[in-house]
Amino acid sequence: MSNNLYSANKRTKLQVTSVPMNALLESIGIRSGTRVRVQNRYAFGGPVLLRVEDAFSVALGKEIATQIGVLEI
Amino acid sequence: MKRILLIGNPNVGKSVFFTELTGIHAMSSNYAGTTVDYMEGHFAVGGAEYTLIDVPGTYSLEATSEAEAVAAKFLNAGAAAVICVLDASNLERNLCLALELRKFSIPTIYILNLTDVAERKGIIISAALLAKELDAPVVSTVAVKKQGMDEVLTKLNEILHAPKDGCGKCANCANCSYGGNENCDIYARAKEINNRVSKKTGANPGFLEKLGDCMMKPFPGIFIALFVVIFSIAVVVFFGELMREGVLMPIVENFIVPFFRLIFTAALPEGMFLNILIGEYGVFVISFEWILAAIFPYVLMFYIVFGFLEDTGFLPRISVLFDNIMRKLGLQGGSLIYMMMGFGCAVPAIIGTRAATSRKERIVVAAAVCFAIPCMSQTGALISLISLYSWWMFPAIILFAFILFVTVTLIAGKFIRGNVAPLLIEVPNLLLPNPKSYGRKIFTRMKHFLHEAEVPMLLAILLAAILAESGALNVIAVYAQPIVSNWLGLPEQAVIALILGIIRREMSVAPLLALELTHLQAFVGAAVSLMYLPCISVFAILTREFKLKIALAISFGTIASAILIGGVINQICK
Repeated sequence: MSNNLYSANKRTKLQVTSVPMNALLESIGIRSGTRVRVQNRYAFGGPVLLRVEDAFSVALGKEIATQIGVLEI
Repeated sequence: MKRILLIGNPNVGKSVFFTELTGIHAMSSNYAGTTVDYMEGHFAVGGAEYTLIDVPGTYSLEATSEAEAVAAKFLNAGAAAVICVLDASNLERNLCLALELRKFSIPTIYILNLTDVAERKGIIISAALLAKELDAPVVSTVAVKKQGMDEVLTKLNEILHAPKDGCGKCANCANCSYGGNENCDIYARAKEINNRVSKKTGANPGFLEKLGDCMMKPFPGIFIALFVVIFSIAVVVFFGELMREGVLMPIVENFIVPFFRLIFTAALPEGMFLNILIGEYGVFVISFEWILAAIFPYVLMFYIVFGFLEDTGFLPRISVLFDNIMRKLGLQGGSLIYMMMGFGCAVPAIIGTRAATSRKERIVVAAAVCFAIPCMSQTGALISLISLYSWWMFPAIILFAFILFVTVTLIAGKFIRGNVAPLLIEVPNLLLPNPKSYGRKIFTRMKHFLHEAEVPMLLAILLAAILAESGALNVIAVYAQPIVSNWLGLPEQAVIALILGIIRREMSVAPLLALELTHLQAFVGAAVSLMYLPCISVFAILTREFKLKIALAISFGTIASAILIGGVINQICK
């Protein structure tokens, strides 16, 4: 099912389906098709911590994470 | 002289290579964006001299921040060769940049760095296969341990002298299959190469990996972070105090000052000139008492502790953990890194914000650093002052600074137009500092501090000695009395702190050390100095990085708020 990254379940394997226009996001390695997993989510509007392609960790602020579409795989 | 560029993703160890190759120390830490300006140095390859340029780390060549724009500028200007540093533990993403570099048709060697970290994560990469895929030399290294440095120079020499035509080496000419005519998808190609050259074995997470993960969990992460911050402050204060009270102050009071007093009183007749040299405010008294005893130990301790936090990868972790609070203040967690740097000195903190992606964020951070974050040498002077009175003032002044910080950030955020980009930060592996580069970093920073601060500090001290010992201070004090005494409730002589504070931040506190104050006066003095003008160097950097208008606005804002709020505290509490 399709979802936004911010509200995705922790630990489930996800695939990114849509990303907002953001050059840094793209070059840091989060693009349509990238496989990610939510490692941690922080309360009170905090960011999500992602494991990207099981290779590195990136933290994304709420404003970006809510704009990223993901699919459970 | 021909240029060679060191290029790579942020935090892959470019600066370590730069230091090894040129002998010039470039700061390295464990987070993205330590190098925001380029550094250059000379080194020899095969008998010829080249200029090596340490280009700020970049994820792509699209110039999403000022630091990345620097990388693009250098490539467009051309170079004899590029040394592209790749992080072996995160090869696919690093390869995207490597492939993107090719369109510049500059001979390139690739360095596969951090192979030790990759191995711990269960990733083994074949340098030979990678070289075949990239059609260019690949050297496998662990830079902080100096492995593979000779091979880097040998290969570099080879590509510098390789024939430039129809070679089949993609990186060396414009028209190969993966080269300048590249229409293929860089990302897909990076994935394909990565799959071919790397092998996954079982990851073997050590203690650091587990601790690193644990620190990122909201619980217990936040508590670990708070503990580390409080413990760090305690270490700086305790050992700084120990050095000051236990070692330096006794040496200054019992040996250095009496020594100079003996010489000068024997050689010079009594009078103003002698007093300027060795009187109560004499140059040879206060320069040692203030700089050597009251300030130096804290600055040293700060750089020891802060350097450790930088090299382990602690700073990006707290950016993530406290992003929610920073968001409420209109900033984002990443700004915390610059603010922490500001506790050392505002100048590198303001320059560091070049890695930030929005101008608004840069200015708000600069304002917060100027108003509410004392630099370490000022903090040292503040601790020296507070410890003369009462320890309750320590938490009180921290609370005051915190309230000030929140207020300034909120106000600046309201007035400056634009947006602050949300948090987007890579969280690096937790690492133990490499003793050699850690030691060199502390040494370089102390040298830099002494070098930068020496002249203005001595100038301030000379001015203090002349004003105090010539009697001019008493005249000025009469005019300043309505503000200094009536409004702020400080002794008249405290006006000297306000005068010297223009030159250097710590000098707005140091003169108070010699005065007999009440507890309230000490607190008001500390609060005023905290808010008071950032020093001349900060003014210069604000003007250079932003514009004069902003530098002036921050300067007037700080003076006005220092006097206003300091006075209000005095009037309410007296």
